[in-house]
Amino acid sequence: MIAEEPRIDATKVTELAQALEAELARLIVGQKELVRDTVIALIAGGHVLLEGVPGLGKTVLVRSLGQVLSMSFARVQFTPDLMPADIVGTNVIGETDGRREFRYQAGPLFANLVLADEINRATPKTQSALLEAMQERTVTVGTQTRSLPSPFFVLATQNPIELEGTYPLPEAQLDRFFFKILVPFPSEHDLLEIARRTTGESTPQLEPVADGGAVLAAQRIAREVPIAEHVLAYAARVIAATHPDRSELDSVRRYVRWGASPRGMQTLVLAGKVRALLEGRYNVAFDDLNAVARPALRHRIFLQFEAEADGITTDRLISELLEHTVKEPARD
Amino acid sequence: MNSLETILRQLRRAAARARAASYAVHGLVAAGAWIAAVLVIARLVPFERRAEVAAIGVPVAAALVVLAWSLRRPSAPLLMALADIRLGLKERLSTAWERRAEAGPMDGALRQDALRHAAGASLVRAFPVRVNRGEASLVAVLTIFALGLALLPNPMDRVLAQRQADRASQARAAKVVTDAQKKVAASDKPNPQVEKILQDTQAKIREAASPRKALESITPAEQQLQRLTDPGTPALNSSAQNLANALSGTAAGRGAAQAISSSPAKGAQAVRDLASQLQTLSPKDREELAKALAKASQQAQNAPMRDSLSKAASSLQSGDTSAAAQSLNDVASQLDSLQAQQNTDQAVASAINGLEAARQELAAQADRDAKGQAANGTAGASASASASASASGNGNGNGTGNGTGNGNGNGNGNGNGTGTGGGSTGGTGGTGSQGSGTGSGSGASSTERVYVPGQPVPGQSENDPTPLGPGQDVPLSPFSQVIQAYQQAALDATDQSLIPGSERDLVRQYFSQLGEQTQGAR
Repeated sequence: MIAEEPRIDATKVTELAQALEAELARLIVGQKELVRDTVIALIAGGHVLLEGVPGLGKTVLVRSLGQVLSMSFARVQFTPDLMPADIVGTNVIGETDGRREFRYQAGPLFANLVLADEINRATPKTQSALLEAMQERTVTVGTQTRSLPSPFFVLATQNPIELEGTYPLPEAQLDRFFFKILVPFPSEHDLLEIARRTTGESTPQLEPVADGGAVLAAQRIAREVPIAEHVLAYAARVIAATHPDRSELDSVRRYVRWGASPRGMQTLVLAGKVRALLEGRYNVAFDDLNAVARPALRHRIFLQFEAEADGITTDRLISELLEHTVKEPARD
Repeated sequence: MNSLETILRQLRRAAARARAASYAVHGLVAAGAWIAAVLVIARLVPFERRAEVAAIGVPVAAALVVLAWSLRRPSAPLLMALADIRLGLKERLSTAWERRAEAGPMDGALRQDALRHAAGASLVRAFPVRVNRGEASLVAVLTIFALGLALLPNPMDRVLAQRQADRASQARAAKVVTDAQKKVAASDKPNPQVEKILQDTQAKIREAASPRKALESITPAEQQLQRLTDPGTPALNSSAQNLANALSGTAAGRGAAQAISSSPAKGAQAVRDLASQLQTLSPKDREELAKALAKASQQAQNAPMRDSLSKAASSLQSGDTSAAAQSLNDVASQLDSLQAQQNTDQAVASAINGLEAARQELAAQADRDAKGQAANGTAGASASASASASASGNGNGNGTGNGTGNGNGNGNGNGNGTGTGGGSTGGTGGTGSQGSGTGSGSGASSTERVYVPGQPVPGQSENDPTPLGPGQDVPLSPFSQVIQAYQQAALDATDQSLIPGSERDLVRQYFSQLGEQTQGAR
């Protein structure tokens, strides 16, 4: 009999996630999957693109997350006239001891939690400035590169309607987002609860339940979660199956233009590890991968025009390929 | 709480049981398919050992299944992974097993978690003993199919029975030939050449593909045997008998006459004794003996014998007893030669008798085969024909014969036979060996009418017009109306000929077979 004590207290991750979810639930009505996926991305150290029609609480969620985490929070409202310097900062002339000199004025990206609201309304130039920050966690102004604070978490929102005057995110930028979470319309029951909570005399005030150190520790623990080879192979098969030239699914071959990148595989596995911890397990299961496959892959699979014409969505294709991908390991 | 190894052992046992059941059904399917295939093939082609071949599929399938079962044992990681999936253990067992030797930050917790969840699950349920319904149905279908094939009459059984009968017939014929060979070997004067011919023939009969093929080896053997005989033997034998007759009337040569009549060898010794006693004979006996020798010389058909007898007679009359003794010794030498030739002829006759007996056996079986084929209604017809020839009297006999055979349709066969005969006292008839032949033809349908030259037998239907043959003025009659006349004519001819009874039976059998077919065609 093996009697070993874990050297890492993985329950801390579970407790952190439960605390975050519980505190957010005080203000966010329903949307449990949305909150769960956001917490998974936070603990995995990834950025999130929230997509939904106006008024569904996207901004409220991000703002609330900033409240429950004792971390610096910045909100940037993306508009067509927003310039890169407006988000990464710029050198300004200042006077020190009677001497004038250029001094770097940090932009709003120098925060632990950044809300990029309506990201698709900014020009590609500004979007690209965000690209380096999201991937490298650094910003370069002039000749100097500066590191962003850690943890660094970007939550961007975009509106799937009102596309007039917007700049759709290019594929490379989309790939930088860990998750793309669709914000669903609340149920009737949730609508009633929203009305009760937000139209009364006072609204709930959220309390911080964790700080940046706890989040960073959780991120380190999550990466230690083991994953069996055949589960990893399953993840690889899922990623490969998103490519039209490798998939055995007719729908993928017909409708998909580009499949998921290797970064999609990384996302799938890392998100699976976090979810396993949140489920109280110390290993990644097929279910974990399946649960995170949609937010991890839906913005990494690019469809043909024919798919749009036929009303095919990436979520539907992902469901289909998850259903057809073999889980059982091959015989030796 | 069990260790991972304990869990693995339990999973192995459960998987082994489940796989054993599955593989057993695989084996049943394979065995059933094999048996059904063998039985199907046995209905298409003659398959003698079908029961053994079908039965051997069962142990072979079982051995293959056991081999596959033992070779394709699932590995430990596979067992763990399958247990995870089937028991809903969320890949805990497979991950813990894969990292059983690791000491990572979470490996201890992972193992404890896996063991705790495995303890709460029934591991046996991961590998239930289950039989695939489709396979079970297939086994049932194959079983019913195979039983049906095994129980329903097989048209190939008749062919197999005929083959067995053919082999038995060939074995009997070969044994007859072997017996003849032993008889020749056991005689006072064994003849190695005759024995060799018989030995080769019995081997050919035994190895022949069919009685008909075996028959083909008999005629050449008989011809080889006949070449061993001397055509001059009957003349020499006749001369010896004449000498014996002539000497029997003399006082001095009476003993020699009796000895010659007894056997040429004894006669040779007696003649030598007589030659040595010539000087002691009285003048009257010498004259009497000289006259007898001169008479025998005149009747002798063999030139050397005639010359020797003539010299002996003239020498004796002139009183030259030494020259007469010399000539008588020459006569004795020719009698020795006659004895040797008679020995050979006896061996040849014995051998031919054996071959004839074998021929009867094989011909009878070949006829039965032809009847069987006709009964099966095969379109291709085969026919055998036998012909016999005989010769009588002293001298040589040669005969040729032709035969016509009819299967289910019309076939023609030709055979030739030759024979020799020799007689010691006045001559005996020789027996010609049977000819053999094969024929082929296309079967006439039941509505087809065959016309042959001839007049209908009274009482037969004469409603149909009688056409003339092309370019002939001979009226043609339906075959069915003249068959009886043909048969009667043939039987009359055989009765008037000096041919063995068995040959007449063949002719009768042939016509009766034609008659049956005629009735069948009606």
